[in-house]
Amino acid sequence: MFNLTSNSSTLSPSTAHTSISPFKKTKSLLLTLMVTSALAACSPQGSETEQNSATDTETAAETAQTQNNDNAQASIQANNARVTIDSVRGDVELPANPSPVVVYDMTLLQDLAALGITVDGAPSNLYLDNLKAAVSSDSPDVGTVFEPNLEALSALQPQAILIGSRMAPKFEELNKMAPTADMTLAADQTYEMGKQRLADLGKLFNKSEQAAKLQQEVDDAIAKAKEASAGKGNGLVISVAGNKISAAGEGSRLGFVHRVFGIPAADTTIEDSKHGQPVSFEYLQKVDPDWLFVLDRSAAIGQEGLAAKEVLDNPLLHQTKAWKNNHIVYLSPDAYLAFGGYYQWMTDAKTVTEAMSKAPKVAAD
Amino acid sequence: MPISSTATYIKPSKPKTKRSPLLLNALSMLLLALLILMSLSLGVADFSWSGLWQAITQQSQSDDLQLLLVSRLPRTVAIILTGASLSVAGMILQVVLKNRFVDPSMVGATQSAGLGLLLISLYFPASTLLGKMLFATLCAIAGMFVFMRLIKYLPATDILMVPLVGIVFGGIIEAVTTFMAFQTESLQMLSIWRFGDFSSVLAGRYELLYLTGGLAFIAYLLADKLTIVGLGDAIATNLGVNKQSLIWFVILTVAMISSVVVVTVGAIPFVGLVVPNIISRMMGDRLRRSLPAVALLGASMVLLCDIIGRSINYPFEIPIATVFGVFGAAIFLWLLLRKPKPQPPINEGT
Repeated sequence: MFNLTSNSSTLSPSTAHTSISPFKKTKSLLLTLMVTSALAACSPQGSETEQNSATDTETAAETAQTQNNDNAQASIQANNARVTIDSVRGDVELPANPSPVVVYDMTLLQDLAALGITVDGAPSNLYLDNLKAAVSSDSPDVGTVFEPNLEALSALQPQAILIGSRMAPKFEELNKMAPTADMTLAADQTYEMGKQRLADLGKLFNKSEQAAKLQQEVDDAIAKAKEASAGKGNGLVISVAGNKISAAGEGSRLGFVHRVFGIPAADTTIEDSKHGQPVSFEYLQKVDPDWLFVLDRSAAIGQEGLAAKEVLDNPLLHQTKAWKNNHIVYLSPDAYLAFGGYYQWMTDAKTVTEAMSKAPKVAAD
Repeated sequence: MPISSTATYIKPSKPKTKRSPLLLNALSMLLLALLILMSLSLGVADFSWSGLWQAITQQSQSDDLQLLLVSRLPRTVAIILTGASLSVAGMILQVVLKNRFVDPSMVGATQSAGLGLLLISLYFPASTLLGKMLFATLCAIAGMFVFMRLIKYLPATDILMVPLVGIVFGGIIEAVTTFMAFQTESLQMLSIWRFGDFSSVLAGRYELLYLTGGLAFIAYLLADKLTIVGLGDAIATNLGVNKQSLIWFVILTVAMISSVVVVTVGAIPFVGLVVPNIISRMMGDRLRRSLPAVALLGASMVLLCDIIGRSINYPFEIPIATVFGVFGAAIFLWLLLRKPKPQPPINEGT
């Protein structure tokens, strides 16, 4: 789109002057159309760039100053200590207590919120309230979880950037701005890796003790969920988006229900793909799980509209054991957005414990 | 290659080589009946025809009958309506625009419907399905109207200009939609709609599609007049056909069919392009003759692709948009690359 703009804007004046034949006319019409649409699409960003460049020198000076101050403070506190933490691309060395620090992942933000740490830059549109505690109110908008706003980042001059799966493809770009740790959790190891991440964050921000305490809380909650679900039958995890349904396998990010809480899978043949396997309502009727674990994906990403409850309310679902016994458990949006984070474990473990502890045991067959 | 309908008109010897519509339609009907039977038998849940027969003869309540009425039949009917109406929409569009290379997704209709759907979902998330559909249709009409104005300025000599401009136009609308979805973080929601998929069709969730069937039928009633419009301005005027109102009818029909399909099942590429081309090669462009064949073949092809999508990854599904995308692209390439008969396009000037 940007290349196109520059090309066509250099071309269009000449074609506009010589539009005699119908073909030329079309061409110029097309070009004008393209240019206008391209300009329209770019204009907000364009003005932003201008603004930024105008204040660039100012900001740079300011940042340099704050950085000096911070460094001075840090050297008093921790003698410029550096901490090695685990990342997807091997061990990464980051300054202890990095400031400013930018975090592009909801799982990490959740853990940081639980640790009582506020970050200096976080993406906009964070749907989960529980992680907003980690974002300081004057934090600049540094983009989304998928796309960094490089100008804002460069104005902020962070000492460290922490990213997760959604930002992982932009690692190289970010690593040029500041030391970046890719702390993605593998979908089939959300518990083990989540544990590691929480410990690492504790180490990084000098809160190891508190991190261990939080981990203990998570482990306790999971143990309770395991206890409540033992012998209560099998389960199927689905995600509902719009009116479409996907089944999630044990190895997917929603598979923690089976892997971590120990609930047997009603269908073990589900292949693991990012958003699950598309299935029909007939499939749900056939698999007939004792428990149905539902992620309302539209609700999780802040979309109103057809709720999962309405989608599932149909004659085929009514035939399943899960529906008849009212064994439909709605997972937290965190399970989808911030899988493996502190609040996700606490919320989902509690939901599962509450739902399953009341249910009678199912005879194993 | 009969590039424009006028070619068939000018050369009266041509229709002689066309196959008999009666035989073709009978075969098509047989194929469709076979596919319907397969579609009804194929599914994840347990279903048996003998169980169904028992239920009917003994007047008892049975799961088989319920399954048939709630899941299998609705899905099959939805597919037939979608396939037939998209193909008919493509055919009348091609005849009226005198261009073999256009379909509803190349005149901005599908994309505009998608934009409308996004807009109404963002600003009036609580609106009903009917409200969403009406707004999407309005947007599709507006999009097609702009496109019709655009192609007025095109040189009549270049047959590929119309689809090219259509693709650019559709691309611009899609880019705007994607940009808006990106800004509002609804890209995933958008991709869910855009992807044609019948897996969620159940009784009570597809009935809007009957509207498309009705529209396709009205198009059949007006078939002769539409054929005449396709012959050009002069002929239409001479034969006393109100060209303007018929073109509006085509715009409305195509816009409504594409938006209803987008809203209920999502976009399915190539249907409206490939099916009319195949039939047109066999039977020419006399719509009264060819529209039933177009509808039958469209229904069969979409049904076949859905059956494939349901069975190759059983019990999981592959969305119809993927399956038809693969088949449609292959067929379209074959249609393009087959040796064309040299025939100068004849243009009436717009």
